[in-house]
Amino acid sequence: MRKLSVSATLIALALLSTANAEEKMSMSDADKAMYAEMLENNPAAMDVAEGEEMFERLIGNEAYAKMLGVKEKDLPKYLSGFPRVVKSAGKVVTIAQTLQMAMADRGQSVPKLESNEIIKMSAYVKSLANGLKTSIDVKSDKQMKEMMALGQEVFEQRRGGRGLSCNSCHSADIIGQRLRMQPLPDLGVNKAAGTWPAYRMTQSQMVTLDKRFQQCMENALLAKIPLGSREMVGLEVYVTNKTKGNEIQIPGLKR
Amino acid sequence: MKTLIKIKPKEYKVGDVVKVDFMAMHPMETGMRKNKDTGEIIPAQYIDEVKFLFNDKLITKMVIWESLSVNPLMSISFKVPGAGTLKVIAKDNKGQSVESIEQITPKG
Amino acid sequence: MERRSFLKGFGVVAACATLLPHVANAADEAKKVAGPNEMNYENAVAAITGGKPLTPSAKVVIVAPEIAENGAVVPVKVTVQSPMSDKDYVKAIHVLASKNGNVRCANVYLTPANGEAYFGTRVKLGGTQDVVAIAEMSDGTFLSAKQNVKVTIGGCG
Repeated sequence: MRKLSVSATLIALALLSTANAEEKMSMSDADKAMYAEMLENNPAAMDVAEGEEMFERLIGNEAYAKMLGVKEKDLPKYLSGFPRVVKSAGKVVTIAQTLQMAMADRGQSVPKLESNEIIKMSAYVKSLANGLKTSIDVKSDKQMKEMMALGQEVFEQRRGGRGLSCNSCHSADIIGQRLRMQPLPDLGVNKAAGTWPAYRMTQSQMVTLDKRFQQCMENALLAKIPLGSREMVGLEVYVTNKTKGNEIQIPGLKR
Repeated sequence: MKTLIKIKPKEYKVGDVVKVDFMAMHPMETGMRKNKDTGEIIPAQYIDEVKFLFNDKLITKMVIWESLSVNPLMSISFKVPGAGTLKVIAKDNKGQSVESIEQITPKG
Repeated sequence: MERRSFLKGFGVVAACATLLPHVANAADEAKKVAGPNEMNYENAVAAITGGKPLTPSAKVVIVAPEIAENGAVVPVKVTVQSPMSDKDYVKAIHVLASKNGNVRCANVYLTPANGEAYFGTRVKLGGTQDVVAIAEMSDGTFLSAKQNVKVTIGGCG
């Protein structure tokens, strides 16, 4: 009986704090407008500009389009569909991986996916699709279907000492509840996958989507899935598909 | 040090007051952060002076401190007196400096 | 709220709550390190005004978010009403973060060529505090305005 009353009190307290949090800890519309305005002077704009310089120097549009097997003028549309199957890779890859492939093609030493070069170049390359809608097609072929299924499995897989999965915080029925005062985002609405790579203000740096997944895993005390692994690419496929049809705007700006 | 200068709005006339946004790629290290791996304090490194000049005449001078965010933004107003060259000179406390130029071309 | 979804939500809170002590320790540790330009609010104001009175004024408008979801990038805009003529203009706009180790953020020395007394920037705030703007007028007076910014730290990373 006592136990019951304690938990009842806890629940009451929790509800109360939720109500208070909503009232006092949320940004007002004016506050939000100030942050929206910051997109005009995104601190990551210079990272993207650097990525452009590197891309022009190391790869270039012509060689890149040729490697992907598309016409230069079709690049933006093609880029809006990543992750996708690239013929020369023979599998589903991310934009970052295609940059590694292009550099290997040209006999250059290939930087890691974690490197500044790949991060900045992939942000620039994805920005070529700015204004277009995310056009990932998870039903286009067998490999995409497999990666979508793998991605969903990774998203729902409970791991670590606490048995947490991505779904523990990002399932549809708990969107908007607060985690340490921050509302849990809906990964399916606009400004999600279409806006990564993004500047993360809390870290004062530009971060890619897969790196963001790793940061999430780290904070949930889960082993980090390596960048470029099948599981990580699958996760990117699954989460990107949630935002299919949303506008691409690179670089994004996140808390 | 990579920089960006933006004039807002993009089109303006002589006599208009425009906004000049200047952004520089800089870590703005406070000198209070520790290297996560070594535990050593990362020395302070921050932009400490920014000058805005129009046709080499000083419009605005700023003394800047480490409290400005990484890749700092400094925005001022400017009354367009005519066509000319806007120059922004930024330097940091370690002596690194950069000069950026933007042409002012009023329409009408 | 359905019981099931509520319990799930509660689990989420518990999942990251254990990270809190870790964060708190990091913050305590950071406090021990003195920056190279430590200066408190009183001294910084005295250095600017030279001991002259500082008058809160509606002519100085400071805009900053009431709530900032991170302290690393907080937008601040200051506008001062002034004709910005050769005889009557704002000589300087000073921006201070009242509780940072070094409260000084920027000292901006304007001229009539600015046409408008305005300064916009983004600051780091070590925690909830007032952001203060001081306008140094050409007649030698000092006007001020402040905005309290509540810095909330949270989320999972």
